Amino acid sequence: MDDYIVEMRHVTKRFPGIVANDDISLGIKKGEIFALLGENGAGKSTLMSILFGMYEPDEGEVYIRGKKVETFSPNHATALSIGMVHQHFKLVSDYTITENIILGMEPRRRLGGILPVVDVKSADKKVAELSRKFGLEVDPTQKIEDLNVSMQQRVEILKMLYREAEILIFDEPTAVLTPQEIEFLLEIIREMRRKGKTIILITHKLEEIKKVADRCAILCRGKLVDVCSVADTSTKEMAARMVGREVSFELEKEPAKFGKPVLQVENLTVKNDDGFTVVNDVSFSVRQGEIFAIAGVAGNGQVEIADAVAGLLPAAGGTIKLAGQDITRASVRARSEQGLAYIPEDRQARGLILDFTLSENLLLKRYYQQPYCVKNVLHRDKFDEKSRDLIQRFDIRSGQEEATIVRSMSGGNQQKAIVAREIELDAPCIVFVQPTRGLDIGAIEHIHEQILAERSKGKAILLISLELDEIMNLADTIGVIYNGQLLKTAPADSLTTNEVGQFMMGVKE
Amino acid sequence: MKRNKTSPLSRAFLKVMGDEKRQAITIPLFAVFLSLLAGAVLMLLLGKNPVEGYRSLLQGCGMLPKAKYAGGKGMFTDFMSYLDIWTPMLFASLAVAVAYKAGLFNIGVSGQMLLGGFIASITVGYSGLPAVVAKPLTIVVCVVAGALAGMLIGVLKYRFNINEVVSAIMLNYIFQYVISFFILTFFVNPITRQSETVSAAARLTMQDVEIFGMKTVVPLGFILAIIAVFVMQFFINRTRQGFELKAVGTSRGAAEYAGISSKRTILLAMSLSGALAGLAGATYYLGYLGSIQPKVLTTTGFDAIAVCLLGNANPVGILASSFLITIITKGGTYMNSSIGVPQEVSSLITGLMLLFAACGVYIRARLKRAKDRQEQEEKEAQQAKKEGGKA
Repeated sequence: MDDYIVEMRHVTKRFPGIVANDDISLGIKKGEIFALLGENGAGKSTLMSILFGMYEPDEGEVYIRGKKVETFSPNHATALSIGMVHQHFKLVSDYTITENIILGMEPRRRLGGILPVVDVKSADKKVAELSRKFGLEVDPTQKIEDLNVSMQQRVEILKMLYREAEILIFDEPTAVLTPQEIEFLLEIIREMRRKGKTIILITHKLEEIKKVADRCAILCRGKLVDVCSVADTSTKEMAARMVGREVSFELEKEPAKFGKPVLQVENLTVKNDDGFTVVNDVSFSVRQGEIFAIAGVAGNGQVEIADAVAGLLPAAGGTIKLAGQDITRASVRARSEQGLAYIPEDRQARGLILDFTLSENLLLKRYYQQPYCVKNVLHRDKFDEKSRDLIQRFDIRSGQEEATIVRSMSGGNQQKAIVAREIELDAPCIVFVQPTRGLDIGAIEHIHEQILAERSKGKAILLISLELDEIMNLADTIGVIYNGQLLKTAPADSLTTNEVGQFMMGVKE
Repeated sequence: MKRNKTSPLSRAFLKVMGDEKRQAITIPLFAVFLSLLAGAVLMLLLGKNPVEGYRSLLQGCGMLPKAKYAGGKGMFTDFMSYLDIWTPMLFASLAVAVAYKAGLFNIGVSGQMLLGGFIASITVGYSGLPAVVAKPLTIVVCVVAGALAGMLIGVLKYRFNINEVVSAIMLNYIFQYVISFFILTFFVNPITRQSETVSAAARLTMQDVEIFGMKTVVPLGFILAIIAVFVMQFFINRTRQGFELKAVGTSRGAAEYAGISSKRTILLAMSLSGALAGLAGATYYLGYLGSIQPKVLTTTGFDAIAVCLLGNANPVGILASSFLITIITKGGTYMNSSIGVPQEVSSLITGLMLLFAACGVYIRARLKRAKDRQEQEEKEAQQAKKEGGKA
C-alpha cells in the first residue's frame, strides 16, 4: 500500500442536489500515467480539484506520500509538489514566457548590491534548460500573445515543472489541439514519466488513454466504476463502463440527399475590432440535407464566419444569402426569423443568460412571439409549458426543472438547452459551432444524433468544429480554413483525416 | 480538523436569517439593523441617549407624538410633510433601479431632477395657467426633460462608448451651473436668493389645506409615486421590454445573440430612468420646495443609490427602503433641534446602510459557510449517537 504517492480513501463531495464524488477510493503509483476517464459531470474534475486543494472533501481522506492532507488549498498542494494544467490557461498575455512562469516566485538579485530587482536572466536560463530537458521546445523570451494554444499549454506545463511539481494533473489537455499537436503533447507526457514524474490525465478521449496511460480509473455518475490496466482493456469495454452501456462508435448516417442551396456565402471578408482581416474572401454554399463542415485550428477565422453569418459581426465585404435572399445587412433577429438557427461557440457568454431561469433561456429567441408575449405582456405560464415540453423531449437535467437558474446547471445540460432551443426554431439552416466542446461521450453521441436527424429532415447544416473526428464522422463536405482562407473544399469521402490535418496546418497542394 | 462548536447564538442567527429565498429580505434588514446599531454607538459617544435619538427621528416624521406642537400643527401634519419629501426620494430610487436593471449606473439623477424642475418652473410654474392644466403639464414637462437628459447619456454610451457614470457626473455639473446662471440672471427672488416660487396652480403639493382643523400640505405626487412602484414592478417582470432590459443588463453578449438590440434597450432604460428622475424633480422642486436654490445640487439623487441597493433594485423593496431612509434623513432635523444630535449623524447612518447593504454578498457567503458547518456537526452528532447506542 505504501508505494502509492497519492491515495484517496472514501472521498465524498456533495454539491447542492448532487453527489459529485461518492465514496471514491483509489491509489496512484509514483511514476505512472494514470488516466481518469468519465463523462462530463461524472466527477473527474471535482476529484482532481480536491487533490489540488480547491475543494475540501465532505468525507474521506487524502494521503500524499503516505501523509494525510490536513489543509486543502492550492498553495498547500503546490507545497506538496502537485501541479495542475487547467482547461483554460491562466497566463498574462503581454508577459514573456519566463515572466509568466516565475510570476509569484520571482528570483531576486540585488542591483549593485543594494537595489532588489527580479532576476529575469537567470530565470530565462533555467526555463530554457527545463524546456530542453523535457523536449518542450519553447523560447523563454517570447510573449504569450504571440503563441498558439499548443505553445501556451506548454508554458503551463513548464510553470509546473519550474515549481518542481512531481505530481502533474492535466485537465482535458487535448481539447484544443490539432492531431499533430496532440502527438507532440503525448510525447512530452511520456518524457515526463521517463523522468520519474507522476501524471494524472483527465480526459474522455479513449484513444489518448490507450496511447499513453498505464492505468485508468473510470468514473460514472460520481462513483468509481473500475480501475483497470489500460493494456488489458479494450477501448470498447472502457467506453461501455464509462457510460454504463454499450456505445456504438459508428454513426448511422443516411445516404445524402442534397437539395437546393440554402446558405450561400460569397467572397466574405470579416475584420475584427482592431481592423485586422480575420476572414479573407471565403466562399461556400450549404445545400438542403448537407452538412458542410469547416475544419481548422482554433483562431483561424472559423468562429468569425459563424458570427458574420448570424449577424453578430458585420461583413466587411462579400454577400451572405439565406434561401436566395441577401441577408448581408440584416439584423440578428431578422436572420433568425428568416430561418437561421445558431449554436454559438461560447455557450456561457453568448448562448445563455446564466442568471436567468432555464425557462427564460429556452425561449430566448421566441419570447416576443405569440403566445408567449401578447401585446407586449409576457405569459410566463406559456413559457413554462413550452419549457417543460422541451426539457422532456431533449432530456435536459437540472435541479428545479424550468425554474432552475442556468448558471447552476452542468455544461452538458446547458448545451442541451441551447440545442433544444435552436432545433425547436425549425429553421432551414442551422449553424453549429463547437457543439460538443467539453462534453462527454454520452452527450456528444446525443448531439451528433440530433445533427444527423436535422440533416435527414433536409436542413442545411454548417458545422464548425475543432474536433477532427467529429468532422470526419459527420460532414458531407469539408472546407479547411487556414489563416482566414478556405484552403480546400472537397467532399468528405475524398479526404483522409491526415490530409485534412495537413491542410489545417497550412500545407498547400 | 477540529473546529470550535457553533454557539447557540449563531444557530439562532442562522434560523432567523432563513433559507436563500428569505435572505433576499433578511439580509437587507440585517444591514439596516447593523447600521442602526452603529448609529446608536455613535450617539452614545456623543453623550446622547440612542433610544431618545431614534424616537425623535420617528417624532420628526409624524410617526410618534411629539411633546408639544405649535398651533395648527400635529402628528398628522408632520406625517403629511414626511410624505411630501418621501415622494421625490421614491421616484429617484426607481430611476436608479431601472437603469441598474439594464446594467447601467445612473448617477445623474440629481442633475436630471434639476433640469426637469427648472424647465417646468419657467414654462409652467410662472405661466399663470389654471390648476387643471398646469399640474398635468408640470408633470409632462418634467418627464420629457428628464427623459431627454437620460437619453443623452444613453446616446453617448452606445454611440461613442462613453461610460455613463462619467457623462452623468459631467452633466450634473453642466446642469447645475448653467441653470444657476439662468436663475441668478432672470428668475431670482432678491430676498430669498432663490428662484421665484412657482404658482400654487402649478405646484404638485397643495399648501395650507385645512384638514381636522390643522393646516397641512397635501402631496399629490405621492399617489403617483405609489402607482409608479407597481407599474414598474409589472414592467420589469411581465413586459417584453422589461425582459429585454434585464437581458441586456445581465449579459450583453447573450442578449445580442438573441436578437435584442442593446442600443435600443440602453436608450430605453436611460430614457425611463431620466423620466422617473424628472418626476422626482417635479415633486421636489415644484412640490416639496416650490423654488430652486441656485448652485446647489440636491443629495436626493445620490441617496437614491443607497435606497436602490438596499431595496435590491426591486420596486417593492425600494418602497420599503426609501420609507426607512427618508425617516432618517427627514427626522434628522428634529433630532437635531429636540435633543441636539448633529444632523450629520443621520447622514452617517444612511451612509452606513449603503455600506452594509453593499456587504450583502459577503454576509450571504458567511451564512452559507456557517450553515454547512452546522449541518456537518449535526451529522457527526447523529453518528456519534448511533455508535453510542450500539456500544
